[in-house]
Amino acid sequence: MLIALVRSLAKAQSLAALAGIILLAILISPMAADGSRIFLQIGNLTDILRQISLIGILALAMTYVILTGGIDLSVGSILALATALVAMGLTRAWQAAPYGWHIAMAIAAAVAASALVGALNGVVIAATRIQPFIVTLAAMIGVRGLAKWLTDNQNIDIGFGRDVAAEFAAVFREKAIVIGAYATGAAMFWVVLARTVFGRHVRAIGDNEKAAKYAGLPIRRTKVWVYTLSGLFSGLAGVLYAAENHQGNPNAGVAYELDAIAAVVIGGTRLSGGKGGISGTIVGTLIMGVLTNMLRLNNVDSNVEMMIKAVIIVLAVVVQRDR
Amino acid sequence: MPPLLQAENVSKHYGGVCALRNAHFTLRAAEVHALIGENGAGKSTLARILAGSTEADRATIAIDGRPALIHHPLDAQRLGIGMIYQELDLFPNLTVGENVVIGNLHLREGRLAIPRRIEAFCRPFLERVGLACGVNARVGGLPIGQQQLVAIARALSMDARILLMDEPTSSLFDDAVERLFGLIAELKRAGVAMVYVSHKMDEILRICDRATVLRDGETIGTVETAKTNVDELIRMMVGRDLKLAVRPQRGGSDDVVLRVEGLTTDKLRGVSFELRRGEVLGVAGLVGAGRSELGAALFGMDRIRGGAIHTRGSVGLLPEDRRLEGLMMRMSVLENSTMAVLSRFQRLGFIRAREEERALRPLARQLALQCDSTAQPVGQLSGGNQQKVLLARWLLRDPDVLFLDDPTRGIDVAAKQDIYRIVDELAAAGKGVILVSSELLELLRCCDRILVLSGGSLTAIYDAKEATQEKIMAAATQC
Repeated sequence: MLIALVRSLAKAQSLAALAGIILLAILISPMAADGSRIFLQIGNLTDILRQISLIGILALAMTYVILTGGIDLSVGSILALATALVAMGLTRAWQAAPYGWHIAMAIAAAVAASALVGALNGVVIAATRIQPFIVTLAAMIGVRGLAKWLTDNQNIDIGFGRDVAAEFAAVFREKAIVIGAYATGAAMFWVVLARTVFGRHVRAIGDNEKAAKYAGLPIRRTKVWVYTLSGLFSGLAGVLYAAENHQGNPNAGVAYELDAIAAVVIGGTRLSGGKGGISGTIVGTLIMGVLTNMLRLNNVDSNVEMMIKAVIIVLAVVVQRDR
Repeated sequence: MPPLLQAENVSKHYGGVCALRNAHFTLRAAEVHALIGENGAGKSTLARILAGSTEADRATIAIDGRPALIHHPLDAQRLGIGMIYQELDLFPNLTVGENVVIGNLHLREGRLAIPRRIEAFCRPFLERVGLACGVNARVGGLPIGQQQLVAIARALSMDARILLMDEPTSSLFDDAVERLFGLIAELKRAGVAMVYVSHKMDEILRICDRATVLRDGETIGTVETAKTNVDELIRMMVGRDLKLAVRPQRGGSDDVVLRVEGLTTDKLRGVSFELRRGEVLGVAGLVGAGRSELGAALFGMDRIRGGAIHTRGSVGLLPEDRRLEGLMMRMSVLENSTMAVLSRFQRLGFIRAREEERALRPLARQLALQCDSTAQPVGQLSGGNQQKVLLARWLLRDPDVLFLDDPTRGIDVAAKQDIYRIVDELAAAGKGVILVSSELLELLRCCDRILVLSGGSLTAIYDAKEATQEKIMAAATQC
């Protein structure tokens, strides 16, 4: 009972924090010409959701990784690789294919390559038992190099003409598509964690890996899948990034892994594994998003914004400790 | 004359759980005083409060009649209170000497830990506890019994007049236990008072002068051990009479379910035996004799260097340390129980919650599992109930051979009886059961045959009818 109670409190605490920040954002929101609060305008609220979607998607898969007691530092680099691959696919390959197919192939290639990198992370971690921090740190460096090498350090602009790339960008930068992708992903990750054998294994391994071994759980397979998912969803986020920014950018997503980890941690998931979940991560992501939006609406210096975020991260973890 | 130590109105809550409720406890000078109770009764919490490693919500403590405030282990050290923790609080990668001097307020020769000074300071205390290894031995490389002596030497070097010992024999086998008892008697003669937290009735009656019984965080009473017996103590602990069940007569079966021939691993040397259906085979041996390693080999966790294992069916393993190797402490009773058989309740990877719940229900009754709900995290259960959850996991798996590695370690008397009953039932259901235990009486109570290991080799197999504690000890210490 006790831990269940603490856990629900922790959830309530991060929800309460979210409510508090939203309230503050409303209170200090600048006014529009018609006297309404800019923060509460539908356009602004959906902007927030759209802005958090990319980090949000990374954070969903990161939650699984962290629940198993691991970490994935390579998601930002994988995202960059995916932006580069999707842009290359759109501008340099399959020129004869019809638009729909062409776009599908470009996305599939980018996402598949990303998933492959994730799978490689997982296989190395499962097979060698080297710490995930080190393996994914290596991947973070190596994949960034791969993305830069593939693109010759150049951004690949897309969607400025009247071609397939423009079609792609027009569709995949739609607010509804971006937010919809995040919402769908969040629902999926939540259901899989709560209701499936795989989700149960993820939590069990993070809680006590040795016991999981004695119970005969498929530890290696589960880990490989967890990192594969992380790679795959980093790839999806990369596709959305490319559409939004009209370019394949090998320098995209620097430090995104840290934002994703921060969102997971603010949401109450332990870095040591075993405790936490998707709902917390969603709340954590929202807290970061609303905070950023609030500060930007009030013209707070972006450097000050970082300092405030630093305090929020530590506070969130302090509040959610169980005694 | 005031008592050496008097604790009144000791209360402690962990969240909503009450660990101690106005408990009281009085310790006289130079006595050995047992603190007993079922798991969760609060005895370890009380000891930790006296040692300053846990802070009470409320407590009135007096030493030699003078009020004492203990908020920190250093406070306890200044008052002459030392504690030997069940999971020893030593630094495995430091030397014996370094372990003794760390945090030691009585090392007056400055804070510089020069090896020569450490040696000179430690030597008399190591001799007093009879520790033969050098000051420079790495603690992690010592057997557990010697590590415990290091912890005692440290407490003595801190001028401890009161020594708290939390289940000091739980990981020792009989020879090390005897040495410890000898030391306890010697310290008592030297005027050290000792608080002895334990589950083991025979030990308490043997070495303790008085015993204080706790139940549900309250003090039930203090009795002179010379004027009481096991039955009375158990009655005080559980609040009801408990019949010590005896082993049912079992007819032998000839159906061999497991045959091990010349099994050799890094820790085992040429072990051979057979296990029949419906048989309980005991495994005795000193710590390090290869008892747990036998389970690891049978379960396929250790590499097999030689020999062969022939099984007619599946093998289940209940590991020795349920916290470290068995349970997912933050997951629920239900999730822990069904962990190894989830594939039975799944469709397309989704778990069918109702079927999962239904599978546990009859088993929870059979095991007499006590929990608020099956959604309760196992970390909140008592040791006995945690062990039952782990048993449930393997009973659901329904293996033909079950290797139980010290299943009653650190669990209370009532839960022990439940475990014995389950072992009987498993045998009656035709399983082959291998039972490892550090308590010889437990082996004699439960097993049909008892296999003795020493230094990785099998030194004897006794029929339960002919086995005695003396014979087993002799075989366990033979090389």
